[in-house]
Amino acid sequence: MSEGRSTAAMEAAPMSTAAMEAAILEAVSTVCDPEYPEITIAQLGILERVSVSDGGSTIRIELVPTMLGCPALDVIATDVSAAARSACMGSDVSVDVVFVADPVWTPDRIAPGARKFMASEYSVAVRSSQSAATCPICGNTSLEHRSDFGPTPCRSVEWCPSCRNPIEVVGRVDLPAAMGAAPISPAAMGAAPISSAFA
Amino acid sequence: MGGPREMVLALADDELCIGQNLAWWIAVGPFLEEDLALTSISQDELGHARALYGLLGDDIDALAYGRQPHEYRSAHLTELPCRDWGETLVRHFLYDTAETVRWAALADSSWEALGAVARRALAEERSHLRHASGLLSRLLRTEAGRSQLLPLFDQFTPLACELFELPPDCAADGLVAAGIIARPMSDQRAEWQAAVDDTLAEAGYQPQWPEHADPASAANGRTGLRSPHFAALHAEMVEVLALDPTARW
Repeated sequence: MSEGRSTAAMEAAPMSTAAMEAAILEAVSTVCDPEYPEITIAQLGILERVSVSDGGSTIRIELVPTMLGCPALDVIATDVSAAARSACMGSDVSVDVVFVADPVWTPDRIAPGARKFMASEYSVAVRSSQSAATCPICGNTSLEHRSDFGPTPCRSVEWCPSCRNPIEVVGRVDLPAAMGAAPISPAAMGAAPISSAFA
Repeated sequence: MGGPREMVLALADDELCIGQNLAWWIAVGPFLEEDLALTSISQDELGHARALYGLLGDDIDALAYGRQPHEYRSAHLTELPCRDWGETLVRHFLYDTAETVRWAALADSSWEALGAVARRALAEERSHLRHASGLLSRLLRTEAGRSQLLPLFDQFTPLACELFELPPDCAADGLVAAGIIARPMSDQRAEWQAAVDDTLAEAGYQPQWPEHADPASAANGRTGLRSPHFAALHAEMVEVLALDPTARW
């Protein structure tokens, strides 16, 4: 090794691909979501895979967007790229952050701890395929649907008849159902219950 | 991959134009929920455009904004600046019903990345269609709704049929044979028309469907001819880039 090389680069150089992947995964796992600055993209189920190739010079990070049109995607990609580079400690690497369409993100991917935090700190409920959305204020589990479209593309608006508060719920009502192999036809979709906001 | 790429470009351009047009409703929707709904749907459609352009190349902005008008393949329906909410609703219903059929025909595409985008988009499409058909069904139960909305269907259906046309250099038959799309566009169009007919039958109305598209008279956004509305739409989309080509969000 030449004398000109930095200590950091010398440390980085002998890393195996697996060790490098683990180090990068650890670093990008701490990147937080712009909407919930205390919750990481790993907890939200946005972080899918880290792979290293070409002898450690190429890094590919796959992320799963909550919605394809989420306006925070660019911010997240920039933060992830920066975290990956810092984990490489100055090595000359090419970092490719890509949003993959498969698998489809669902609220099921949100970690239980993050759900609790979103409820207690943001008053935001999460509906999963396993459990109904619970009112984060009073604990009522019978929320009334108001509108599929809320303050962000991934949140719908519901109403708690118990404590009489409007509640934001992550996951448009049928995102989890859309994961199944159920046949989809416009007629069947049009026949689905419609928002009571328009009654 | 010339044929499939041409098809994806047309679908992406549809999404880009209608997404941009729906964004016009931000802060001016007739009621708050509708304001949020139309602009959320706008975001979704722009996200779908982004995902589709991403299948064609890495420089998504160059594809979305950097082409000459004759290089776009959008259907003219998507370029229309609907400034009347009734017009917006009818176009939204026709478009999202069509999209649901189109995505479903791509969900098992032999172009795997395209199939993944289609399945992802389809998961988001349900809420669009529920929004459009929910409002429409309710409004068509009123005399005012029927008198104002039903004539709009006959105004828009000829344009909407172009959503099931493909660019001429697509080799559409080959797309089915290669498993890129599951069914011919003519079959998809028939399913879409039947779905529209079903919804309007509730109001006792049968829309006038044009006969098989006549190339001489049909709108031909797919061939590169832009509608008179495209220039203003495009100028708005590239307004910042035109001022500063290096601008970043």
